[in-house]
Amino acid sequence: MAEVELDCMGEACPVPLIKAEKALEKMAIGDILIVQIDHSCAMKNVPEWARKEGHNVELDEVDDGEWEVVIEKMK
Amino acid sequence: MDIRKNEFYKSWFKDAWPYVTGAVLLSAFQIITFATTGNPWGVSGTLAYWGAWIFELVGGSVDTWYYFSSEGAQRTLDAGFLQHGGTMQNLGIIIGALFASLAACQFKIKKLKTVRQVVAAVLGGLLMGYGARIGFGCNIGALYSGISSLSLSGWVFGIFLFAGAYVGSKLLVKFFM
Repeated sequence: MAEVELDCMGEACPVPLIKAEKALEKMAIGDILIVQIDHSCAMKNVPEWARKEGHNVELDEVDDGEWEVVIEKMK
Repeated sequence: MDIRKNEFYKSWFKDAWPYVTGAVLLSAFQIITFATTGNPWGVSGTLAYWGAWIFELVGGSVDTWYYFSSEGAQRTLDAGFLQHGGTMQNLGIIIGALFASLAACQFKIKKLKTVRQVVAAVLGGLLMGYGARIGFGCNIGALYSGISSLSLSGWVFGIFLFAGAYVGSKLLVKFFM
């Protein structure tokens, strides 16, 4: 199982979401994608999209105004 | 007690408010704004005055500019920064946003990643600013205040706003992905 980190620091919406969509497309089921963000609306729309797609999602606040969205590809 | 674990702190300051709460508050405050000042809520018109005041500060004059030629505009310019209601509203937005991000422990000065980001931001800002003045309003003054005061112009603005956003997002994917 691969683990991929996607650096989206300093990127505003909707760039983190589109980048996460493209990155996850290339990955295999069971792989983990970690999206690093510092844009508060991506903290909402990236997990929302991934949950709607049926993946396992966890959101970690790693620092003030910085988050990691951990997505486990389920299908 | 750790305040970060407090339910009240979480729902009021940490987590984003639900869309409905935001919609109700925006509606209530824009009605109050209209009722007390006599003008619908706007944002970008004020920025044009800020530009004029800064230009005057460095010795320029906008007295002969067509945009500022009306009596009302001249009165606003003469009265100054501190007498302008729209200025106070815009400062309120900036200070309020700062307070909200500080209260949520989410304040961060973001680093610029690429020169492309800077070019896009400056170009986008100039286009939006110019468009907002040519269109007599931005998405607040022309769209939001237009529609809420039952003006057809707000809907027309909305249609073209969506068309612009569609083209803009295509360009974004092309140049930023």
